[in-house]
Amino acid sequence: MAVNYEILAIGENINIMSKVIGPAIKERNAKPVQKMTEDLIEAGCDILDLNLGPARKAGDEMMAWLVKTVQEVDPRVGDEIPLALDTTNTEAVKAGLKVVRNPEVTFINSISAQKESLNTRMPLVKEYNCRFVALLLSEEGIPRDVNERGACAADIYNKALELGIPENKMYIDPIVLPVSVDLNQVIAFLEFLPLIPDFAPGASSTCGLSNVSNGTPTELRPKLNGPYQAIHMVLGIETSIIDGYDKAMMDLVKGKKKNLVDLAGRFLAHELDEEKFPNVAMYIEANTDYKNQPKIDPSSLEGEELEYYKSFLVLTGKVLYSHSWLEMSV
Amino acid sequence: MAFAIPKENYAGKVREIVIGKGDKAVKIGGYDSMPLCTFEGTWPNKPVVAMEVYDVAPELNAQGWPPATFEAFKDVINDPGAWAKKCLEYGADLICVQLAGTDPNAQNKSAEEAIEVVKKVKEAVGDIPLIIWGSNNLEKDQEVLPAIMEAFPNENWLFGPAEEGNYKKITASAIGYGHLVAGKSSIDVNLAKQLNILIENLGLSLDKVVMDPTTASLGYGIEYTYSVMERISLAALAQNDDKMQNPFINDLAKEAWKTREAMLTVEEEPTYGEQNTRGILMESITAIDLIAAGSSILIMRNPTAVKVIKELINELYS
Repeated sequence: MAVNYEILAIGENINIMSKVIGPAIKERNAKPVQKMTEDLIEAGCDILDLNLGPARKAGDEMMAWLVKTVQEVDPRVGDEIPLALDTTNTEAVKAGLKVVRNPEVTFINSISAQKESLNTRMPLVKEYNCRFVALLLSEEGIPRDVNERGACAADIYNKALELGIPENKMYIDPIVLPVSVDLNQVIAFLEFLPLIPDFAPGASSTCGLSNVSNGTPTELRPKLNGPYQAIHMVLGIETSIIDGYDKAMMDLVKGKKKNLVDLAGRFLAHELDEEKFPNVAMYIEANTDYKNQPKIDPSSLEGEELEYYKSFLVLTGKVLYSHSWLEMSV
Repeated sequence: MAFAIPKENYAGKVREIVIGKGDKAVKIGGYDSMPLCTFEGTWPNKPVVAMEVYDVAPELNAQGWPPATFEAFKDVINDPGAWAKKCLEYGADLICVQLAGTDPNAQNKSAEEAIEVVKKVKEAVGDIPLIIWGSNNLEKDQEVLPAIMEAFPNENWLFGPAEEGNYKKITASAIGYGHLVAGKSSIDVNLAKQLNILIENLGLSLDKVVMDPTTASLGYGIEYTYSVMERISLAALAQNDDKMQNPFINDLAKEAWKTREAMLTVEEEPTYGEQNTRGILMESITAIDLIAAGSSILIMRNPTAVKVIKELINELYS
């Protein structure tokens, strides 16, 4: 792995929780769903997440309808533009896999290290030869640190190998948590990313990025999401579940903002406490050239780069987060 | 080789805050180590005790005050001035005028009535600095506290709590009439920082700000208060975060004395033991925990609890 200036964008917007699209899905109103699908393809999303949440009531019917509805928009949807079936209702996942154009590129989002998830969902991966997001969640809940993330990843990885599922079907999601809730988790995510090749050789990586800014005022959320993404790209993430309507984010993941990715690289190389970030430090040293590039001089930055720098400070715990973090002087 | 105590080096220092004026002014803060870790730095100002005087007389009953505290004040309970004097006899460093009676859900006392109470207290205690504490009703506090500030300009007293929902009016009046503000945030390190930034952005220097992290009693969530105070202190001292370098105030007596353990009689709960001792212990131990968490101002009620805590502070910070 090395710095990824371009990664695959999984659009998160088709979501039953959304005020715009949620009612349309419930009422089986195809128009708004199809409009959003067009928008997301137009924006450059490579994969579309179809999030039905728990979908306890008639989830299978709803997912089958949703897959068919988005596939009507464009013959590439469900194949060249794969779908991610995102619900905790396993019957709904099955129903989606049955009607999707190409199950082999389709994702089950997600399979966790919880027994029931491993036992009921992993066989579906085998049956349909599809892909899946490995969500690092165990019976005990969200892992507290890097080691517990590793244990979860190993459990899922071993279960997949046991069933003869190829490693490259697995996309590890180390779980992003909000910076305003627990900074240590934001850091633990960064420390875990470089370890994925060790814990799960051959597997890929992804995450639900936008959660990092949950609790932050809506208009400021992109100001945290972008910088966190840039750091992930330096650390070799390969896909990310993101807001397809965030134009700046789409530019970033499509390689149009290399300067911001490099800014993240220089920040990680020169400004982190190596005791707190041993894995990140080792990764930067072994896989990138940022150590040889100059340290950032904040007084030389302006506009977007200055905002990114301020956000790097709060995302790595150098400065305590508050809603006014962008107004602080550096 | 002799044993050397491992020491933490802190990058930051908490602001020294002055409440009141003249010889009787009280200084807090100014420390550059975590609480009780005076081998790593200095705490030039000991934590202080502010004793409560209420604007309406409490009652001796199951909804009001238990005997342990009521007896200590029963002669002065209808006279805020005499009550405040008694507090000074009991060792109070400052007086905290509790305006619980202004709460619209209680007696809904007016700002004018509150001013009268403050006036009596001021006349009784002279230059001893006052803390004026609202009823925790956002709307009413932003009406009453500014009115008192205006009636007693430039006394440099501490007014609180100012929360995200009402800090603007309270802070603006503090700037205009020369007082200090206690900003209250709900057990959250990020929100605490945000409130300090908002208050400073309005134009009040952080040299005039004390932080109320929201106080819980022993047995009712004090570990959350402890934890957030520790995190704020680490941000202030270890990370040198200049928006977090303000001392703490803890409004603890109300919390300790409304617990089951303080309120239930022996008849109601025989296994709990003698009621007076119980309540005093609840207040004392809550206060001790908050000293360990780094409190600079403890708002307290019972004279015996105050005596215990004052002795403890003198031993810990001598």
